[in-house]
Amino acid sequence: MQKQRLVLALIVVLVIAAITVLVKIPIQLGLDLRGGAQLTIQVKPTAEIKKITTEELDAVLSVIQNRVNGLGVSEPVVQTVGSDQILVQLPGVNDPQQAERVLGGTAQLDFRKQKPGTEAQLPIEQQVRQGILLKQAQLRQTKDEKAIAENQAALERSNEAILKLFESTGLTGKNLKDARAEPLQTGNAWNVALRFDAQGGEKFAQLTKDLAGTGRTIGIFLDNALISSPTVGPEFAQTGITGGSAVITGNFTVETANDLAVQLRGGALPVPVEIVENRTVGATLGRDSIQRSIYAGIGGLVLVLIYMGVYYRLPGLIADVALVIYSLLTIAAFALLGVTLTLPGIAGFILSIGMAVDANVLIFERTREELRDGKTLYRSVESGFYRAFSSILDGNVTTVIACAALFWLGSGLVKGFALTLGLGVAVSMFTALTCSRTFLLLLVLGFPGLRQKPELFVPNPPASVKS
Amino acid sequence: MKLNVIKQRSLWWTVSAAIILAGIISMVISTATLGSPLRLGLDFVGGTRLQYELDCSKPGNCDKPIDIAAVREVMDAQGLANSSIQVLGDKQQALTIRTKSLNGDQRIKLRDTLSEKIGAFDPKTVQIDTVGPTLGRQLFASGLLAIILSFAGILIYLTFRFQFDYAFFAFVALFHDVFITVGIFSILGLVPQLQVEIDSLFVVGILTIIGFSVNDTVVIYDRVREVITRHPDQHIDQVVDDAVNQTLTRSLNTTLTVLLTLFSIFLFGGETLKYFALCLIIGFTAGAYSSIFIASSLLAWWRERTGKAQPLPAPDAKTSDEV
Repeated sequence: MQKQRLVLALIVVLVIAAITVLVKIPIQLGLDLRGGAQLTIQVKPTAEIKKITTEELDAVLSVIQNRVNGLGVSEPVVQTVGSDQILVQLPGVNDPQQAERVLGGTAQLDFRKQKPGTEAQLPIEQQVRQGILLKQAQLRQTKDEKAIAENQAALERSNEAILKLFESTGLTGKNLKDARAEPLQTGNAWNVALRFDAQGGEKFAQLTKDLAGTGRTIGIFLDNALISSPTVGPEFAQTGITGGSAVITGNFTVETANDLAVQLRGGALPVPVEIVENRTVGATLGRDSIQRSIYAGIGGLVLVLIYMGVYYRLPGLIADVALVIYSLLTIAAFALLGVTLTLPGIAGFILSIGMAVDANVLIFERTREELRDGKTLYRSVESGFYRAFSSILDGNVTTVIACAALFWLGSGLVKGFALTLGLGVAVSMFTALTCSRTFLLLLVLGFPGLRQKPELFVPNPPASVKS
Repeated sequence: MKLNVIKQRSLWWTVSAAIILAGIISMVISTATLGSPLRLGLDFVGGTRLQYELDCSKPGNCDKPIDIAAVREVMDAQGLANSSIQVLGDKQQALTIRTKSLNGDQRIKLRDTLSEKIGAFDPKTVQIDTVGPTLGRQLFASGLLAIILSFAGILIYLTFRFQFDYAFFAFVALFHDVFITVGIFSILGLVPQLQVEIDSLFVVGILTIIGFSVNDTVVIYDRVREVITRHPDQHIDQVVDDAVNQTLTRSLNTTLTVLLTLFSIFLFGGETLKYFALCLIIGFTAGAYSSIFIASSLLAWWRERTGKAQPLPAPDAKTSDEV
């Protein structure tokens, strides 16, 4: 009895914790539920780069990130998937045609020369651009789509204006062999070191010779947006920077130096990217889906609750309570673990409600058998739990095996299902073995009157059943 | 209720064999006409599916239903003659188009031309699915691999938990369930009005069936083992009959409660989840059937044939007409 009280206390604490979690942490919804576009971008190997390594994928990722940031979408997500894919999520986008246009294609890295007579103009334009970028960051918080779009147009105009201040030199990402962040020998500052191929080295020498000491800058453009504009010191006026390598100095920290190096590497990669998947769901459609799945979930739960109550009587009602606790704990687990809920994910959860019942059914059937054999109520309940355990474990292990295969190999949609079903099965083991058991034992032990009424547990019990 | 599982086993076996045979015939026809045993959806062959709905908040926009002939005309003009077009919704104001893979610009061109002809669409109810052909093949391959791996995983687990012949017949029953589901979906794919396609969710469904259907079999086999230890001298036919009957209510109740939730998804869950729920409904029903009637009677038959509980290697041609 003491032990049951403790478990009961534990359950109460868990339920309160679950409710608190649900109130405090909102559940993350997938794009198929809240509306938005999801693009999968395939990084394709070429004759030169036969296999995409992690470093290369990261470099391409930075290029894609750059392009996505140029789209003016609030809260975009860009992440790598597997060994050669990048996933881009654009919440709230109803038709990602602009994204598709911008995100495909090989990155373009250009080293340009600032035109003479634009020295005063560049800092002004750069300041304008900085202002627009700052505003953009603020606007993204507000989610005012119209203002974001307007600001976006301003950013594009600003990018074009800056581009006009520079002229082409023919030195492009193709000529750049590597870019690395390097610590300076003194102090905490960092550099970005560049290395060109032979042809690039010559062009770079010519470019730096032309610019040395003039105060005009080298414009490094990634997809036509300026990412860095270093000047060249007067000491290089005679020969330019020769030898095919150079360092960009400045007030770099580890992070900013790395960012620039990765961007440069990404721009230098000749790998083409292609959008291989586009899943877009309009916001209204997503809301419909949420509503439908709530109906389906509640419908399923209620049907099961009624069935259990009618068929198994008192234990059925206890199983019902356990089932409600199960649903609560599982949803709280989703929120707590940051599971992104998708439509298949919800289906997995609803299905797990049906499966969670299984353990209870196994136990109650056993209990009934023991009662029919003429055992006392208490012993029947205990041995019901004890003897059903191996069957419960077997059933759940096989389900978890299937879930693991799904989770390991499946794509995003499939993963959601595997995760919710797998989590559900795990939680259901707990609720069946602790909640149902404790409630039932507490009732049997705490209300002696019950023990005289085995008909609450099984129809037509044998006359001998008494405790 | 008391079932004579063993006595009527030829009946159970015939029922299963008939359904499986129908599925095989359908898959052969399907392969001949469609090039694959099942009608493969967008996820696996690539392509673009677009769903647009007329914007009814604009006056006069929704006065008449979408004219499918007008849509077809636009499609033909854009060189997309081989597309399938469906008009949906209570008032026929939604449009689904399935075509070859389109990029953003092609899609926008199509949408704008369609809007001109039949009315403005509501941007918030759009659904776009584009899958490149290569990715489709990848998805298909990884789906298949997941199925094979979980088959293997469960076979290994069962072999650990039971003697080999138990494990083998549980596996046969499992295969039976998957085959029936696949067969029925092959038939549904051939029905002209439905043309049910399989997608990633179908693979998910099959994997769930694999995980769940063996569950029932395990419970019955668990009981067979228990009855054998309690009555070692009893004939295997009697043992199996008893075990099945003792676990019958449990098998039925478990399947029934799961089916309740699945029917709920089937009825209220919307278009995306409908066939997913149907796949599970078929698979789970087949699962309950095979556990009660097929796995049990096969085990009894095998043990009788081989004399006693000798853990023997996999039986050969004798069972293959069941699979």
